[in-house]
Parts: sequence; structure tokens; C-alpha cells
Amino acid sequence: MTIHNLVEQLKLKPLSTFDDRTVEGVFVSDMLSDVMAGAKSGSLWLTVQTHKSIIPAANLVDVAAVVVTSAKSVPQETIDLASKYKIAILSSELATFELVGRLYSLGLGGP
Amino acid sequence: MRECDHRWRMEDVSFGFVAFERCFHCNGLRTFFSREQTPFVGEEYREGQCFWSRVENAQSFRFSLCCVRCGERVEFDELMGLLHCTECDPKCRVEVLRQQLEAEGHWILVGFGFIDKDRVIPIPPAKLDILTDYFNQRRHPSRPKLRLLSFELIGSVSRCRGDFLHDIGMLALQPPSDRRSPFDSSSIGNSHRETTHDDPQPR
Repeated sequence: MTIHNLVEQLKLKPLSTFDDRTVEGVFVSDMLSDVMAGAKSGSLWLTVQTHKSIIPAANLVDVAAVVVTSAKSVPQETIDLASKYKIAILSSELATFELVGRLYSLGLGGP
Repeated sequence: MRECDHRWRMEDVSFGFVAFERCFHCNGLRTFFSREQTPFVGEEYREGQCFWSRVENAQSFRFSLCCVRCGERVEFDELMGLLHCTECDPKCRVEVLRQQLEAEGHWILVGFGFIDKDRVIPIPPAKLDILTDYFNQRRHPSRPKLRLLSFELIGSVSRCRGDFLHDIGMLALQPPSDRRSPFDSSSIGNSHRETTHDDPQPR
């Protein structure tokens, strides 16, 4: 399943410009240290964090896309940095719990 | 005999905090890794001529890398964290290298050692290379490579506006309204004395 597939099926809103790629699994955390230690290449990272630092952390471990849940507002500098690294930053109206359930039903599992 | 073509795996992961302490007598800064369950801020204690006070805690983690092929283990106890360059100083050697490496298709981060009274503990270049290899091995082969640089390339650490990949301020969701150097004493709560802006020096 690709990022574009997920955008269509889950009505996610793309905020950055990005390279489409295969999503390998889902990682949920609001801590950068968790992500750096545990996320895997191709993961979809679900978070409510919107600080610019999430992007270099996502790039470090090569996550496929960052999904900001609960319709949190994402600062423009975060979006710009994501576009620079060609990392998808997607916004969802759904709370993290609800979105995890939808992703699971689509066949995605842990990282 | 051929040397091992290492394949690194992260092990011994231990979550905790990078603690920042400031001495209001000499204005020195020091940082260390703490495994406290609940970190505190503000308590002061005396050590020789210094009066140390915890001014900030940032959630972080400590780890080792182990080669799955030969079993070699490398600890990174001196690594305080990774810094994202914000392009704040066009003359900084990190910025010059960033431009050059990004043009060649590499992304950079800066490896930073813990600070011991205004001296940053150096990270051996060989260790930074191992860390670079490890994070590149975690990436999809089609993605641009990473390169970790030494903090010693930073022109002026006290004026650096880089972003540490730490959760400073715990779960703050919004970026700070006023970006300051992480080494500027006024940015981490020193109410006792104005900073002298002396650069931490590698020892």
C-alpha cells in the first residue's frame, strides 16, 4: 500500500510535497526518542506533535510519512522542511485511536 | 583476513533524560544522562566552588550498536544528541558542508557530545562514522544517504540556533516563539547571572 492509496482511502490531507512510496507498517508515538529508537524505514508515523523537529527525526529513520492526527494545526516551517526532505506530512481529522483502527483494518500492522 | 562488513543493530536502549545544569557562580553549563523516573528542575546543590541548579530536562535515550556479523559492540555514552542545522550562520563550517553535501544528495545532522562545564566532550570521528553507517543501513537503499558531522565544525556553539532532536519541554506541541541557542543561559532559565557567551571548548 502506498502513501497515495492511504490518502485516498482515509481522506488524509497532504500538506507537503513528497515522493510516493510503499508504507511498510505503522508506528505511533509523540516522542522523538521513541521514533529514533523504534521506527523503521517505510513506517507511517502517527503523532500529535507538530514541532519542526519531527521532520529531521522522521528523515533520520526514513519513515514514509508523518500523519498528524486530531486535525492539529501544523506550522508552515514544519511543512516546508518536510517538503525539502520529500517526506509526506499528512493531516487527519481522526484521533490517533480511530486512525489506528482504520489502518489495521486495511491490513497494516506494527513496524 | 578480510575485515567485517558491519551490519549494525541498536541494542541496550535505555530511555531517560538529558539533564542541563547551570552554575550560578561561574555560569558553567553541564549536561548528563539521567534515568530518573521523574526529573526535577530547580533544586540547587554545591560542589566545590560551583552551585549547580537543574534548569532543563529533555527526554532522550542511550544505546549501543552491535554488529550482527562479528559481534563488535560500540557504546555511545558520550553522545548527548543529534542536532538539526537550521542554516543560521552562513560562515559556519557545518553550513558550508551542509550546502556541499546536500548538493551531492546527502542529508546532514550534527553529533553532539555531553557538556562538562562548558567543554563539549568530543565524539571520536570513527564513532560518528559508525553511527552514520548504522542510520544509513536503516534507510531504504533508494533514499538519500545521511552524514553525521562533528559539533567541532560549528563556528560558534554559543550562537548556534540548531534544533536538538530531543523532547525539550517534554510534550510541547508548538515551536518556541523565539528561537535561541540551546547554550544561551537565558534560554534555559538562569535567573542568577547574565551569560558571558563563552563557547564550550572541546577538551
